[in-house]
Amino acid sequence: MSTPLADPLTPVSGPAGGSPSTLPELPEPTRRRWMQWLVLAQVLFVLGVAAAGYATAALGRTITLRTRPVDPRDLLYGDYVNLRYQVSELPGRLWRGTTLPRRHQPAYVLLEPQPDGTYEAVAAFPEKPATTGNQAVLRGSVQDVWRRGLRLRYGLERYYVPEGAGRQLERRQSLRVQVSVAPWGQARITSVEPSAE
Amino acid sequence: MSRKLLETDGREWVQKGIISEAQREQLLDLYPTDATAIGLLPLLGSLLVGLSALSVVAANWQGLPEVVRLALLLGSLCGAYAGGEYFRRRGNLNLGMGLIALGLILFGASIVLTSQLYQLIGYDLTGLLAWAVAGMALTWLYRSRLLFLMTAVISGIVQGYNTGQLGAFSYLTAIGTALGLGYYWWRRPDALLGGVLATGLLWQAALLINHLHVKITWFFIPAMLVYAFGDWQPDRPAGRALQGPPLVAAFLFTLGLALFGESDLYAGQLRAPLLPYLASLAGVLAVSVLGKRQRGRLGSLTDWLLLLPGFYFTGGLPLAIATLVVLYAYSGAVLLRAHQEQNQDRVTLGTVLFIITTAVAYFKLTWGFLDKSLFFLLGGLLLLGLSWWLRRRAAHTFSSSTTPKP
Repeated sequence: MSTPLADPLTPVSGPAGGSPSTLPELPEPTRRRWMQWLVLAQVLFVLGVAAAGYATAALGRTITLRTRPVDPRDLLYGDYVNLRYQVSELPGRLWRGTTLPRRHQPAYVLLEPQPDGTYEAVAAFPEKPATTGNQAVLRGSVQDVWRRGLRLRYGLERYYVPEGAGRQLERRQSLRVQVSVAPWGQARITSVEPSAE
Repeated sequence: MSRKLLETDGREWVQKGIISEAQREQLLDLYPTDATAIGLLPLLGSLLVGLSALSVVAANWQGLPEVVRLALLLGSLCGAYAGGEYFRRRGNLNLGMGLIALGLILFGASIVLTSQLYQLIGYDLTGLLAWAVAGMALTWLYRSRLLFLMTAVISGIVQGYNTGQLGAFSYLTAIGTALGLGYYWWRRPDALLGGVLATGLLWQAALLINHLHVKITWFFIPAMLVYAFGDWQPDRPAGRALQGPPLVAAFLFTLGLALFGESDLYAGQLRAPLLPYLASLAGVLAVSVLGKRQRGRLGSLTDWLLLLPGFYFTGGLPLAIATLVVLYAYSGAVLLRAHQEQNQDRVTLGTVLFIITTAVAYFKLTWGFLDKSLFFLLGGLLLLGLSWWLRRRAAHTFSSSTTPKP
């Protein structure tokens, strides 16, 4: 039985000469063997994503970031909240590159702990900087550049909220976000809580 | 001849002694049951099952331990592929391919849900790209049109997400789609897939032009490259189908030029740097002409009329009128060739194009000068007369033909 959509048709070659030989079906054993590899690759890929997430939390060091107060109507969007951090917008004087920052350029932001336990940006580099003691580095990418500053994106701007907690977060103006930074630079949110003040 | 005709009239032919009962059955066997509608069902079915599974799991997602969530995702992924293989082996190809397609959808869902599980947003494209690559591999393994279609759509989604959310264009995705699916289509030419492939590639080309912030006329370089590729395809209907979307884009563009080209502000938006643009266009034209000559289709060279870069002239109204002349030349050429080839579908197409051009020309040339009621009256009469004449012409062609082409 032949169906146009679901199974491969054997097309009729045109009358003109020099038509390429129609691609034959793969032999059944060959196809099945490749298919096993392909499914295995897909499973491994999904497991790899999970492993990367798990390892980042298990092996990384935890820092606390503070979000900027945002319009609460913007904050909750479906199952996740959009977060804007203090370190999302940096004054231009923190930039340590030899050339001016460009859009979509990677940026490494050096963070230092403040007395209240949260981390603030002290400098931004185009290459990964060396750190001392309790400093930490977050990798981001430059989103926007203007005369006095630049906006960065870290891949931490969205938090998938556990059921029901979204409403609670919505009413708060400022949040403290725990972020795990793996030694290889990957970062993920581990928890979000309302700021004390 | 359709099976339906055989089924309804066949018995009468037997009664009249034209064919015997055995011959009738032999004829019926030549035309297996048309299963187009059934072919769509596994596609829709797999989509719906995938969506419902997604929503059920999503509703209870937060309550499940991480390991269970992962196991659920991977279990259904493997289950879908294994089920697909099982049903294919038992000869139920439709259901089998539906399940394989479901497996591909589940792979994409697994990547997204696992990323959410670990709060990984992934501002890189790796996850989505892996999805497209899996689709491509499946297409090649199963030689399946359904999977081809899905891969074209997935690549379009990946590219759309990439340019929209991440602000970058993935050349890897675009080239991968063009080469992977393009070569597949080249070896297994097919009209529907040609249209799908061309549409997918034009979509990515449009995203690229938008991303680069260059003049929109650059769009026609990749678009006409797709068109030229169709020229080289030995299978005529498949090649024609691939050329459909680029031609539609070019026709609409020229129509727009006829309507708005009068204002130099608009024409100025189209002026890409003269030499590089014309050189690229000439290069693509050369590829196309060579292909046409190789396959003996130089007659279709009139398609390139639509690509005449008239917008470089600061002509005002004359430019708009010149564009209208080009449109008339193009649709007239389509009509003429359709009559020569005695191709009913293309006669209809040419008629429609001709009438659209006339409507635009009439609107363009008389809107300002005529009283509005007179405008509509005369316009209506003009179109009615034209369509009557064109239809008569078509009827004349097809009735006078003594040796109609199949």
